[in-house]
Amino acid sequence: MKSLRFFLVVFAALSLFATACGSSADEITDSATDAVDAVTTDDAEPEAEEVVEEEVPDEEQQAVDTSLDEETLEELGSDDAEDAAVDTGPVSGGTLVIGSTQIPRHFNGTVQSGYATAVPGTQLNASPLLFDENFEPQPYLAESWEVADDGLSVTLNLVEGAVFHDGEPITSADVEFSVITARDNHPFKTMFAPVTDVATPDDQTAIINLSQPHPAILLAMSPGLLPIIPKHIFDDGQDMKTHPRNIEDFVGSGPFKLVEYTEGSLIRLEKFDDFFIPERPYLDEIIIEITPDANPIVLGLENGTTHVSATLQPAANILRLQENEDVVVTAQGHEAIGPVNWVEFNLADPALSDVRVRQAIGYAIDREFLADVIDQGISFPASTGIVDASPFYNADAERYDVDIDKAKALLAEAGYADGEIELAIDFIPGGQQPYAEYIVQALEEIGIDAELNVSADFPSWAARVSGGEHQLTVNQVWNWGDPVIGVHRTYLSDNRVGVIWTNNTGYENAEVDALLDKAGQEFDVAARKALYADFQDIVADEVPIYFLTQPPYWQGYQPEVQNPPLGIWGHMAPMHEVWLAQ
Amino acid sequence: MTADGAALAAPGREAWRMFFRNKAAVAGLFLLIGVIVMTYIGPFFYTEDPSDIVARPLKGPGAEDVPLLGTDYLGRDVLAGVINGGSTSLRVAAVAALLIVFIGLTVGSLSGFYGGRIDSALMRFTELFQVLPALLFSLVVVALFEPRPLTISIAIGVVLWPQLARITRAEFLRLKNQEFVKAAKAIGASDLRIILRVILPNALPPIIVATTLVMGSAILFEAALAFLGLGDANNVSWGLSIGLNRANFLTSWWTVTFPGLAIFVTVLSFSLIGDGLQDAFNPKLRGR
Amino acid sequence: MARIAQSLGLILAVIVLNFSLIQLTPGDPAVVIAGESGAGDPALLAEIRADYGLDEPFVNQLGSYVGRVVQGDLGESFFFNRSVVSLILDRLWPTILLVGAALLMAIVFGVLVGVFTARRPENPVSHFATVMALVGFSMPVFWTGLLLIILFASVVQWLPIGGMRDVQFDGGLIASWVDVARHLVLPAFTLGFLYIAQYSRLSRASMLEVLQSDFVRTARAKGLTERVVVYKHALRNAVIPVVTVAGLQFGSLLSGALVVETVFNWPGLGRLAYDSVLRRDAPVLLGVLLISAVLVVVANLLTDIVYRLIDPRIRVGG
Repeated sequence: MKSLRFFLVVFAALSLFATACGSSADEITDSATDAVDAVTTDDAEPEAEEVVEEEVPDEEQQAVDTSLDEETLEELGSDDAEDAAVDTGPVSGGTLVIGSTQIPRHFNGTVQSGYATAVPGTQLNASPLLFDENFEPQPYLAESWEVADDGLSVTLNLVEGAVFHDGEPITSADVEFSVITARDNHPFKTMFAPVTDVATPDDQTAIINLSQPHPAILLAMSPGLLPIIPKHIFDDGQDMKTHPRNIEDFVGSGPFKLVEYTEGSLIRLEKFDDFFIPERPYLDEIIIEITPDANPIVLGLENGTTHVSATLQPAANILRLQENEDVVVTAQGHEAIGPVNWVEFNLADPALSDVRVRQAIGYAIDREFLADVIDQGISFPASTGIVDASPFYNADAERYDVDIDKAKALLAEAGYADGEIELAIDFIPGGQQPYAEYIVQALEEIGIDAELNVSADFPSWAARVSGGEHQLTVNQVWNWGDPVIGVHRTYLSDNRVGVIWTNNTGYENAEVDALLDKAGQEFDVAARKALYADFQDIVADEVPIYFLTQPPYWQGYQPEVQNPPLGIWGHMAPMHEVWLAQ
Repeated sequence: MTADGAALAAPGREAWRMFFRNKAAVAGLFLLIGVIVMTYIGPFFYTEDPSDIVARPLKGPGAEDVPLLGTDYLGRDVLAGVINGGSTSLRVAAVAALLIVFIGLTVGSLSGFYGGRIDSALMRFTELFQVLPALLFSLVVVALFEPRPLTISIAIGVVLWPQLARITRAEFLRLKNQEFVKAAKAIGASDLRIILRVILPNALPPIIVATTLVMGSAILFEAALAFLGLGDANNVSWGLSIGLNRANFLTSWWTVTFPGLAIFVTVLSFSLIGDGLQDAFNPKLRGR
Repeated sequence: MARIAQSLGLILAVIVLNFSLIQLTPGDPAVVIAGESGAGDPALLAEIRADYGLDEPFVNQLGSYVGRVVQGDLGESFFFNRSVVSLILDRLWPTILLVGAALLMAIVFGVLVGVFTARRPENPVSHFATVMALVGFSMPVFWTGLLLIILFASVVQWLPIGGMRDVQFDGGLIASWVDVARHLVLPAFTLGFLYIAQYSRLSRASMLEVLQSDFVRTARAKGLTERVVVYKHALRNAVIPVVTVAGLQFGSLLSGALVVETVFNWPGLGRLAYDSVLRRDAPVLLGVLLISAVLVVVANLLTDIVYRLIDPRIRVGG
């Protein structure tokens, strides 16, 4: 009996204890909303304030006008950034610790896409061009360049005296090798598909010849998409995708060289003394610490052991950091990635082949609820497949704002009474489950019986979706800067190739094919914008995909990090200009 | 250990009386009953659907407009999740336990009864499964064949049976040369009859004890698998609640504490009961 | 020794079993690799399959796999272009460190608690210990871990709550051991907690048995001090069953390590295994399953030997 009494005492103590800890956490979540309020009050537009102050409706979901453009995005959190800027000039030295949840397979970005490879990859490798915040190209390995009048070639003039980490000079032969390797091996086929060959009249000049005008070619020469790799190391006949030097003894052209990679845990990079930009990089060392989830990163940012991170999901972490005075939090940066969360329909499914059913589903889902409540204001509603930061975004496409009655009417019109449609919703395992769970609820409102189809892991999900075994799935696809690279692949009727992140809906529209084809070759920005506007309108009418949210890449960093990586490619760009204030 | 076969008749009254005198064991029984009541009768009283979004996400207990134990990352009621999560967890664990008992008894009894080559072979087979890293193996099984409740039960059953087989075998070895068994053989009873009707009832005490402990292990296993992301998302379970809320647990402790508490209490009840049974069946080992 | 031969056969069986199981997988590793690349097309997938020999008939694949294993080649990871052996070796010693520390903690604390509760059963500390033992037995490992993290992250920041080292660590050898040790405390305790419970009860039971035995009574009668009696004679008998059980529980410790490594971000085999399940990285997974089985077999053999050494009266066999 004594034992039992003790047990109860201990248990009571533990619960009291937990409650005591708990209350502080509670305050954080509550005051986080206030904090977002405070930050947006000063310069933000009135629309932004509505987002935050909107009380959560009970079961009714009210439409809220939450269109946020790039400017407002910058306002959210930039106050702190201004405070953090330091007057003294850049100082050399120091170690930057980056927290990340993404595990790279290797460091060769010519055969591999994705954030995980690009973050270390862009420190290890240089590309011909850099891009500023207006998506304008800037010199990097190419000190100047020229696009021919007919648009069928691009001439790059390389910097003189640039060398790889092993001392060998970087020449046009390496550029030729890298472009051809990327064209033949990179998963983004459209990026370099029009490249016929690369001429190398001399060591410093490379001429990329194209079979058709290809405005995307410039953006394709971004650090993450076209790293210049050493031909003398890789050109030995081995398959590039599995080449051992992709990871072992990596030799690159970038500002940092590889010291150590403990798979899945730690990447250690060290300043490359002979980098072709004099007196760069400022940092002595970069350490990328990889963790399975963001919790340790949040703690690291709070106690100062981690300097910067852009993988802070989910929302609770970002809100918690916003609350913290010692950490700067911003949504600026990574605009070129352009991730969009959406629901895509398998058009082969009998019920979903009817556009009215799809429209009904669109009317039932409240994307503002997703952005505001589920994501706690961390993401923003998306209305088309092109992110609003892009010059090609069409703000006027049909949005299907929440309208339960209209949804039910459409279903009835299509001939489906209450409960007749049963749907299984797929989603990318892990992060997208909350969205899928919400959609189940939303569909119940209009009389559709829905349940989740859980895949154990990413490959299972990818296999289902690419094999067309699904009915509808939540998905996240990236724009990758130029629509040619990341947007076309989802809609082109000849891209129904049974692989994930291609045309998995089965969508086929000749007019869209033509529009996209034309836009991909059009250099004039205004003309391109008009073509893409039409494209977005058509897609909005036919709803093969219902767009949900655009999640920016929130970053948290210590105030002493100067010139933080907030460019359009964010961490997927060289950090040679970053320095640490002492 | 008594050598007299007759006194080994199925656990007698004496044992049950001793069980009920054991306060800890009785407490365990009450806890288990409490859990079962909460799980199967609770939903009739607390009717909130665990998958309904009822308030803003991640609000703690005591905040305004928020259910008693707060909300999870989607805005669902944590208390509803705890009350309803039990049925999945218990069901999966029960089916797993059944599987474990079935395989364990079969292998153990055949092994112990026949001895010789059959014993060797079956013991090698048992060792194979004992040597496999249990959680990892069941992880692989669930990952390969979708995470449905039945798959999870099978995955758990397949790795936890060896212990039960060994106990069964030990009992059979001990009992098979007893007088009453020889007597049964003498009168021409079939092997199967002897195994099932003669030896097994007498072998029950340690098997029962092991089974209660196995139930506890199965619940812990199900929770671990769900926590690692391999639970059935359409049927909330305690381990799944913890796993899904894991990304938020630093800021929202209630989302992981209460489901964990439910697991803890349930497993504790099985442990206490198992302990009590053990003491009741083997008074000598009790120690004071 | 016949046991060693048996053990080898066992390991072979493990290999076959696991290989077959993983071959049944509905997920296609080629898709993973392609997916991780961000996209893919049928030509790419076909290339990947050819690269990794995923097209061969089952028996061929099994045969070549076993052949390679015997030569010490566990293949190459699908995900990282590195040999499985080197990946495993990198992660092996953190896991052994974790499991070893947990086991040590469990045995030491378990025996101490067990002895104490055996000798002073009415002491309030004994009651507390008994309760804690039961609690530890029933708490899910990951829950214990999460609660400890909440405690040490939000309330008292004495110990680091994740990882194995401080990334910016810049000190000498001894200091680096201290750093690792600090990171080791919480995960090892979380893992060991469950077993402290078990071992305390086990040692208490055997302690009680021994204290009441003739052997001890004789020692007491001879006039040896209580202390000598307890610590020299009885203790030895109390420790033996604990050590034997501990050795045999190595397998379940590895399972627990998987969870603990995931919760505490400890860079060991467990995390490698868990990640490779989710990535369908079959070679790594097979490798880890194999190594785990080998470790368990080795632990069993060692336990046998230790047991025989400590207590030559016992004959182990059959």
